Amino acid sequence: MKELQDLARKLLNDGTVKVVIGYEEGARGVRPAFITDAKQAGKLIFDKRCVQNLAAYLNPRRKQVAQLGTPAVVVKGCDARAVAGLIREKQIERDKVVIIAVRCGGVLENPETDSELTSETVSVRCGGCDVREPKLHDHLVGELPPAPPVNNHREEQIAALKKLSSADRWSYWTEQLSRCIRCHACREACPMCFCVQCTAEKTQPQWIDPSATPRANRAWQTMRVLHQAGRCVDCLECERACPEHIPLGLLARYVADSVERRFDYKACEDPAVAAPLGVYKTNDDEEFIR
Amino acid sequence: MTHRFLSHASLTALVAELVAAKTRVIAPVRAQDDPEQVDYRPIHKLEDAALGVRLTRGSLKEFFLPPTEVLLHYKQTKEGVEIREVPTEAPPQVILGSTPCDAAALEVVDKVMGWDYRDELWFGRRAASTIVSLLCTAMDSTCFCTATGLGPDSFRGSDALLVPVEGGYLANVITPKGEALLQKYAEADESMKASAEAAQGEARQKEEKNLAAIPPEFSAWLATNFDNPIWKTIALRCHGCGACAGVCPTCHCFDIVDEHDTADEGVRRRNWDSCQTSKFTLHASGHNPRQSQSERFRQRIQHKFSIYPSRFAEILCTGCGRCTRACPGGMDLPKLLDELMTLAKSEAKSSEPKGSSL
Amino acid sequence: MSDEVEHGSDDAWSPKVVAFVCNWCTYTGADLAGTSRLQMAPNVRVIRLTCSSRVNPLFIIKAFERGADGVVVSGCHTGDCHYSTGNYYARRRFAILHDLLEFMGVETNRVTFSWVSASEGNKWQEVVNETTARIKELGPFRTLQGQKGVEL
Repeated sequence: MKELQDLARKLLNDGTVKVVIGYEEGARGVRPAFITDAKQAGKLIFDKRCVQNLAAYLNPRRKQVAQLGTPAVVVKGCDARAVAGLIREKQIERDKVVIIAVRCGGVLENPETDSELTSETVSVRCGGCDVREPKLHDHLVGELPPAPPVNNHREEQIAALKKLSSADRWSYWTEQLSRCIRCHACREACPMCFCVQCTAEKTQPQWIDPSATPRANRAWQTMRVLHQAGRCVDCLECERACPEHIPLGLLARYVADSVERRFDYKACEDPAVAAPLGVYKTNDDEEFIR
Repeated sequence: MTHRFLSHASLTALVAELVAAKTRVIAPVRAQDDPEQVDYRPIHKLEDAALGVRLTRGSLKEFFLPPTEVLLHYKQTKEGVEIREVPTEAPPQVILGSTPCDAAALEVVDKVMGWDYRDELWFGRRAASTIVSLLCTAMDSTCFCTATGLGPDSFRGSDALLVPVEGGYLANVITPKGEALLQKYAEADESMKASAEAAQGEARQKEEKNLAAIPPEFSAWLATNFDNPIWKTIALRCHGCGACAGVCPTCHCFDIVDEHDTADEGVRRRNWDSCQTSKFTLHASGHNPRQSQSERFRQRIQHKFSIYPSRFAEILCTGCGRCTRACPGGMDLPKLLDELMTLAKSEAKSSEPKGSSL
Repeated sequence: MSDEVEHGSDDAWSPKVVAFVCNWCTYTGADLAGTSRLQMAPNVRVIRLTCSSRVNPLFIIKAFERGADGVVVSGCHTGDCHYSTGNYYARRRFAILHDLLEFMGVETNRVTFSWVSASEGNKWQEVVNETTARIKELGPFRTLQGQKGVEL
């Protein structure tokens, strides 16, 4: 992508940034790139295999990246929402990051396959995307591709789960979460999980048992997804990172739908818009309160 | 070394007999969430297994060192504290169709498990297990067992190694346990050795293309290059998520915790842990000697390819490639090792260290 | 699990209900119910907090983990919060928690959210009795394997 590469080269050469965080071709497909030398800017690419949410690398806890200096970050619209979230929650300052937004037509569910984008192969989060031309940016690059096809697989799974009895839903989640080994890869890969001490790491008292038992696994995943309510941008890095292939995206989507339905809020690119659980309306839903 | 021929029918019958005798049989099985993938799971009959299809997503580790396991129960009473330890004898299990890299990993980890303290829970499960591996023909570009001194037909850690031949398998019977398991259902047969060895050779050739053998000097180079600037740039994309440690057959670090249901009663457990997590080396004082992912990733490489070899004469890696496959950040171990080994070789010639192109 | 008690057996399993209540309204209302000698089921254990907003979803999860069969969360009516706005934030948080618990297979009737004011002794009585009756009908909370050191 020449436009992107030229821009990166310019930003590095004139000293605006010290590193451009983007995507490059690895030996086994697309992977995150950290370009510090303008001569390497030609490595930067962008295509439908670029699923990673690079906003995670802006987290100040990533000392090895922060040490490099002022970053530019390549973002799709969904990733830009995560950058907005980090700015909103005061983890980074707007003027300390250069946001290079790319116009996007959807990404693959399995980037290793490098197939055409169809309703079977496109990521479940792309259908209906309204940020294909991200508004949060310092630079906007690329041609606007056609809108991505819609992959309903996740909606179907959630609908199927809702139809089950309460007991069957309990069994489903107990079984899925029984595979959890409490590696917390979901947390580490998530751009919005930036806490220096996670709730699960608190030992005095130990609210969430650290062991990979069914009850502790359930407590962990329930709390993580609750802490993401109204903050999660549905990038699905958690699900991608999980070495046990637990369908965490179902929980993320369900909570996001609940937030949207109740508070008329979707993850957004504007850092000035307050996170929904940090504000209230005097006439919020309370049908569930006696 | 003796050889036996095991027909498909005989293997079916053997599995049936084991299951009937309440021996747990573990084999690669198609994953429920993605039938293209396989995981090691208990089976009830041979047809449940998907042998030789592709490499499993997880290793055998969970059947020897579970992700969480109880070490003891404690109860506070008026008389004092009652401690009830868990039994170290384990119920019998047979692993069928493991890859040679996974079997070898068990032998590699035996070294630390029997080092300054004998881990009886580990060895209890080792003693109760019979491991029947299968020649690996499903290698992809991420694995590199030959580079670590093993191979797709390695015998290490296995009680028998099956090689697919016409009508079934040629079993290389490696240990008395393997003999005891197979003698009833597999006839002694030396006639198929040649065709088996041809298949083995073919598999080796394929695997050797992925990465050159790790030279013995590499361990020493790593030790003297602890402060090489390359460590600052080699792990920028690493999330520190620990997924690699979870799927790795040789990673074995664990954390010990006490969990109680009431004020008086609880259990002590050990849980999988990983040096890649930010708090792994956090001291009670608040100091953390490994403050950034660069240092933590350096530790992973140093431990596996320098520290463990210098202590146990074993590389703490069997080249299975799972870490690379599982990594959400795009870390690529064989490529990384190739770069480090190339750097080591070039530094042997010049004295100018270069930054990583990774 | 062998230690799960049969619902409806003569061994009279009695629900354990934990109530997280705010100090200013509900706790005072509960106190009023008591001093008025209103008949209430004895199953509810009250935990007093400064405000309904202090209730962390973790409290509810932990209560179920450690043996509660039902949970009550109660505070001031919106607009009457002693700290002005605490219960507004709490209401949003509880809404999401309520939805998520249902999705993950916890019967919605196990968790009761209510606004009970300092003068509503009668309402507190209703909350206690109705909740206890509902939990009795639902039975004990689903036992979780992995509890008490069961081997994987």
